[in-house]
Amino acid sequence: MSLNNDLRERALSAIYSAFDLTNSEKGSEGKLVKSEESILFGHGANIDSFELVGLVLSVESNVSREFGVAITLADEKAMSQRSSPFRTVATMADYIVQVIEEGKRG
Amino acid sequence: MSISFLKDVVLEKAHAEAIVWHGQSYDYSWLSARIIYWSGRVTSAGIRPGDVVLLQGDFSPNSIALLLALIEQSCICVPLNADRFHERNILAKSALANWIIEIDREDTATIGPRQEEQGHELYDLLRRNGRPGIVFFTSGSTGVSKAVVHDLQKLLRKYAVKRHDLRTLAFLLFDHIGGFDTLFYVLSNGSALVIPETRTPEAVCLAIEQHKVEVLPVSPSFLTLLLLSDSYVGHNLRTLKYITYGAEVMTAATLAKCAAVFPGVKMLQKYGTTEIGTMRSKSEKEDSVWVKIGGEGYEWRVVDGILQVKSDSAMLGYLNAPSPFTPDGWFITGDCVERSGDSLRILGRKSDIINVGGQKVYPAEVEGVICEMDGVADVTVYGEKNQILGSIVCAKVKLSRPESEEEFSRRLRGFCKDRLERFKIPLKVNLSDDVQFDARSKKARRLLSEKADVGNA
Repeated sequence: MSLNNDLRERALSAIYSAFDLTNSEKGSEGKLVKSEESILFGHGANIDSFELVGLVLSVESNVSREFGVAITLADEKAMSQRSSPFRTVATMADYIVQVIEEGKRG
Repeated sequence: MSISFLKDVVLEKAHAEAIVWHGQSYDYSWLSARIIYWSGRVTSAGIRPGDVVLLQGDFSPNSIALLLALIEQSCICVPLNADRFHERNILAKSALANWIIEIDREDTATIGPRQEEQGHELYDLLRRNGRPGIVFFTSGSTGVSKAVVHDLQKLLRKYAVKRHDLRTLAFLLFDHIGGFDTLFYVLSNGSALVIPETRTPEAVCLAIEQHKVEVLPVSPSFLTLLLLSDSYVGHNLRTLKYITYGAEVMTAATLAKCAAVFPGVKMLQKYGTTEIGTMRSKSEKEDSVWVKIGGEGYEWRVVDGILQVKSDSAMLGYLNAPSPFTPDGWFITGDCVERSGDSLRILGRKSDIINVGGQKVYPAEVEGVICEMDGVADVTVYGEKNQILGSIVCAKVKLSRPESEEEFSRRLRGFCKDRLERFKIPLKVNLSDDVQFDARSKKARRLLSEKADVGNA
């Protein structure tokens, strides 16, 4: 359990450091807020599809640096989830943990 | 007259809704009166039959009425989307435009002349026959837009046959042959064209719900976005009967999810190119990527795995590029296809075009811009598959002086911002020492794309 909590914390920090990059290129309005409730995509989101793709790529590269494993977040598996893993920061962090765990089990 | 079918529609359905824009409704009698008004305005401004008129705007009541008035006046129309202002001068020059009409967000039109001395044999042909024409732009392999000239009398012939009266969303663009097809399908059947506030998943769902849209013509990558955004959850989309899609390869995963999310909605793949127009087509089954194409006036064949199409309503030719037709009149589409009996499966473009959300990106154009940056020795631009956008643009760059990848990526985005449309700016940048100085070949790009796809598998 504590191991998983640790994993999730590190996943969150990978997301937040990608936020820094996205925010540095956004205007003064519509900056991403570092909160688990922040909506990333869909109704109420502050980013468009191009920014979402940029964000996902930068999270992927942060995760591979942090965890030493290369992962792909936007793939067919993500698409086939019942609810979108990119809806909020929390769902994305959960999804990162899931992908890493599945990778370990091989 | 090319748009005479509209006169019957106006007689039959004068008070039926023709256009819904910003929540307001415009009926066929309004449209008919507006066409007469604009015919008078353009004539008094000095626009004559055979003149080339660039019409910049988005779908709106007046842009539609103006387009129809120009067709009625036998002009040669060049529709251009409102957001392509930075390309307007170049494209007006390519199209040899005599006039520019700009329609702003308030739907007010400004008519202005443009000095143009040059003529063109394709235009002469239209003028001699007293035919209206239309010009669409499609990207060329060198990044220069090719100007595709159609004889509208021929292109509009298929709309004379009455089909289904269905409320349809204007999702495809005003200057795209798909958008043109949506408009004329709707008008010829006396249906309503619903114009969304923007083309985001949320705005599209809202427009479907508020205006009881029955047909949603989209690009496959928009469907992917729509599914990913969950925007469909909070809206009542039960009026929807058909989703038509084209322009890109649809993944089986997206198609299956669509069938689950929109039960009872028929998924129809359309096939068309700017050069030959939109063909009638029928998906084998709702969740099938196999499609039967054709319809009256169209024939097709597959040569070396590439689809070729012959049609009476094909374009007359390009204004600024050599003919893409075979000597016996077949148009080489450049689309790789698989054939099974009389059905086809579209596999993708033969060339290196990167298809980002239905928008074409030619690597050479992006490479040209990046090469202008300080410290760049060489660059190869290639596409990588992406579940959200279909493909993304990637750049492999060799620097002539040390710089971190993060710092360079930031500088690249800043540099490209005012020089390239947003979808053309690379989302992924890799620094490398081994970019070849002669690497700007198709082969090298394809290798990079293949490597990326293997990495993602």
